[in-house]
Amino acid sequence: MSAPNRKLLFDIGSTYFKMAENGTIRHYFRDFNRPIFDDLMEKCGDTIAKYRPEEIQICSSANGGLSTLIIGLSNSFSLKYAINIAFNSGINIIDTVLYHDIDTAKPPVEMIDVVIVVGGIDGVGRIFDDRLFDFLQDCAYQNIVYVGSADERGYLSEKLEKLVVLDNIITDKLKINEGALKTYLTDLYQADIMGKEDIKHLYEITANQIYSTPYIVNRALSHISDRLDVADPFIVIDIGGATTDIHYSSDLVNDNIVGEGGYDRLVFKKLGVYKSRESLIHTARQNEFVYELLNYLNVTENILEEESEAATKVLMQLAIFLVLYKVSRHHSDYVELKLENLNSIVLTGGITKVLNQEESETIIRFFYKKLLHFHQIPGIVLDKNYEIWTYGMQEFTNEEATKELS
Amino acid sequence: MKVVTGVVGNDIHVVANRLIEISLKERGFTVFNLGVNTYLEEFLDAIVETDADVLLISSLNGEAEGWCRDLQILKKQYTFRKDVVFMIGGNLGVGEMDPDALVPKFKNYGFDLVFHQVDLNVGLDTLENYLKAHA
Repeated sequence: MSAPNRKLLFDIGSTYFKMAENGTIRHYFRDFNRPIFDDLMEKCGDTIAKYRPEEIQICSSANGGLSTLIIGLSNSFSLKYAINIAFNSGINIIDTVLYHDIDTAKPPVEMIDVVIVVGGIDGVGRIFDDRLFDFLQDCAYQNIVYVGSADERGYLSEKLEKLVVLDNIITDKLKINEGALKTYLTDLYQADIMGKEDIKHLYEITANQIYSTPYIVNRALSHISDRLDVADPFIVIDIGGATTDIHYSSDLVNDNIVGEGGYDRLVFKKLGVYKSRESLIHTARQNEFVYELLNYLNVTENILEEESEAATKVLMQLAIFLVLYKVSRHHSDYVELKLENLNSIVLTGGITKVLNQEESETIIRFFYKKLLHFHQIPGIVLDKNYEIWTYGMQEFTNEEATKELS
Repeated sequence: MKVVTGVVGNDIHVVANRLIEISLKERGFTVFNLGVNTYLEEFLDAIVETDADVLLISSLNGEAEGWCRDLQILKKQYTFRKDVVFMIGGNLGVGEMDPDALVPKFKNYGFDLVFHQVDLNVGLDTLENYLKAHA
């Protein structure tokens, strides 16, 4: 008979499987020539056989994440809130259209997993018109959801087939309301996994919902300081094979978004060091500080062309620098973090296998000195065992994690 | 009537902001208060999201001159579904300046009603009269 709290946890990534059992985490490099399920069963089948499906929990980023197109009425509210919820739900690819500019916006070429339409507080009408429908006619999408003013629901439902209508994400006080859309997107992620030939067989070994890994990491953040030497406010930089995620305390943003979790997520989809290596190098070459940085690291530009351990280290360091640069005041984009207020930087993901403490500190010290003119840097914590994701998984009770899987 | 209000720029005069909100509510307005440290774009975005009738920007530290000079340009980038009254008040200039030149300057920026160092209730009375006249 199984013990009540026995759990076997998996993170199925684009490059590695991670398995956590009784506090021990093992990593397995994926065999890309085999289906994920077959590869997993060969490597971990004996352990899996010891557990009931109810005791096995899985998170995964191996399906590549969902793509989203958000059409919103304003940058400061509709689009910003929807982007925030999408990132925190584990969505990786996000394109946006400001409704005012929809006449000149180019419809995406690729199939979109979900279109999100948003605008106005409840009580506001006459927001959307034929321009929306004309634009959507040229888009290929699988799902469409409306999360704007209640007054537009009837009109849009009449005009748009298969429109899912959820609570407005903008409250009457112009604050964010993330609940319904977040649940919808995480459920959509599960449906996507179940539809992907390569991954759907994972449900043969678990009776629990498979969540996206970034969503699980985001849930783990409020528990990090219990287990690692981390002080708030902090950021977690997760540099993986395909994408780089940054999770940050909401306190670090001068913003009108006050969500429920206290931590938000941002994704750089082309800053991975394995699958996105070429785009990382391209982005680095376009950065005004990169040559000074390479000089600081005592290497030349040629190292970016090499396939060596030293080159991978430099790429990792570049990725850290570029992520910090993109959320700093030097690069005003979706968010600007108050990096000068940071107490800790946690590095997790594949990066902890490549860089040591000193090499991580070197690059962060360069960033703080060069761009922020600071001589002190935040405390740096390497999640060497890559265990942060397990905090988020353990937060679920079995009842909460188990869903009816039709 | 709906009013979007807040303090523009790097200005943290939260008490004045709160007083304006209370006064507006007392007069029967529905208020959307964006608080302190608000960018001009956020004000205009809030008008669009709420379908507001009035934008009332306050500024106490005199930074409004710098923050609001692009209002005309910005307005052209928006489609409002009704005629919105643009109003600004507070301490609109600092240092060496000609107080008499401030009102025309801000009207030139695109504000309909401008109040420099004028009592709040006088300003709000004027707003109500303006709204009645343009109803």
